[in-house]
Amino acid sequence: MRVWVTLLLVCAGCGAFEFHPYELRGPHRDLHARSLERLFGAKPKQAFRFAVVGDMQLFLDDSAAAMRDLEQRGVDFVVQMGDLTEFGSTQEYEWGVELLSRLKVPFFVVMGNHDALGMGQKLYRRTFGPESFSFTYSGTRFVFFDSNSREYGFPGDIPNLQWLKTALAPAPAVMNTFTFSHVPPGNGDFDDALAEPLVKLQQKKGVAISFHGHVHQYHDVHAHDVRYVTTDSMKGRSYLWVDVDGTSVQVQRATF
Amino acid sequence: MAAHGSLRASLVAALLLAAREARPEPAHEASPWYVPDHAAMQFAGAIGFLSAGPGWSFLDDTVEAALLVGWAPPALAGEDFFTFTLKGQWRPFLFDAAGWTVRPLMVGAMLTYTVGDDYFAGLPSRYDQGYYWFRTAIRPALLLGASAGRPVEALNLRFVEGYFELVATDYRLVQFIRNPSTVNVELFTLALGVKLRF
Repeated sequence: MRVWVTLLLVCAGCGAFEFHPYELRGPHRDLHARSLERLFGAKPKQAFRFAVVGDMQLFLDDSAAAMRDLEQRGVDFVVQMGDLTEFGSTQEYEWGVELLSRLKVPFFVVMGNHDALGMGQKLYRRTFGPESFSFTYSGTRFVFFDSNSREYGFPGDIPNLQWLKTALAPAPAVMNTFTFSHVPPGNGDFDDALAEPLVKLQQKKGVAISFHGHVHQYHDVHAHDVRYVTTDSMKGRSYLWVDVDGTSVQVQRATF
Repeated sequence: MAAHGSLRASLVAALLLAAREARPEPAHEASPWYVPDHAAMQFAGAIGFLSAGPGWSFLDDTVEAALLVGWAPPALAGEDFFTFTLKGQWRPFLFDAAGWTVRPLMVGAMLTYTVGDDYFAGLPSRYDQGYYWFRTAIRPALLLGASAGRPVEALNLRFVEGYFELVATDYRLVQFIRNPSTVNVELFTLALGVKLRF
């Protein structure tokens, strides 16, 4: 019986009751708004460094190792490139948030196709905020959007190029623009009809780097004046860190 | 430590003896197999805020099957969740203590089906074969638990039994196996329930 009492106590202490795997419950809400508050609440930096980490889904222990490695690196914030979860369940969202929270710096999470499963899209919005959002930090514009076209059956507006056009509109004092979306254009899960328009739009708007995840393999290519960088999954035990100082941008790959 | 070990050994021995020597339960009329012999009502356990349904027992209640319909309301779960659950359980040990009949170990499994367009039981045509290796509408889970019950003559019930279950859903199991140090204690959630045996 002592075993049972111990197990019961363990359960009672850790969100013991689950009503459904996709329940919209739990402590985390609007984390992107909080990340922005923290980012802009701190003293602005002219030169800053951020990390780009790939798909975490089934590789949570590797992700924990990545966070330990990143601690040594001294980053100002972190961007996770989607597929935070494998099943899109509430608990996995919590595990992912807990891992990213270990770094004590603001973080942003792109929505991946796995994160949209079941109630995942609602869970994402509840936990982080809208899938499409942008902000400008220290002269660099960060634009995040949903490119999981296959997940919604190729509706024709994923990614939403209309929104993107507005988000990429010229603005004073913007020296660099980075975009972040899970599925890279040209991948089979990206709406084929929108791949070329997106690439041309990014070219026209002067996007410096287009960051992606999804394929679980590091790629770094130039196409139509834009640099397309895809991260390894956490299983590949590498991530990227980006140093920005004015118009100088350096992307480096760290293995751990 | 040695004392602890021998205590555990004697406890296991007592359970095994009790299982063999247990007093037969009150006889009840034989019914066709398809007539349920109990009803269960459960709180939580990943199959709803509340779930309820009929159950069938075999081999002196050591083997059980149950079919539960569960609901989690938007006020508590953020959304309506309707699930159907098929449970199978094995409860090998039995002992009597102070008028209570205790089954200290239950191992089981369940299969849950969530109703709604947001979930798929077969892979939708927009995906290639094998794109997702699991089905969001269908969730298997493993169960571990215990129960204690006693007859309640006033209600003309053979038994009223309370139980708890530790529920390890598929995604918890998979993540635990692959990431033991991260998932750690969050392998299980807890379900509490009551069974009425007639």
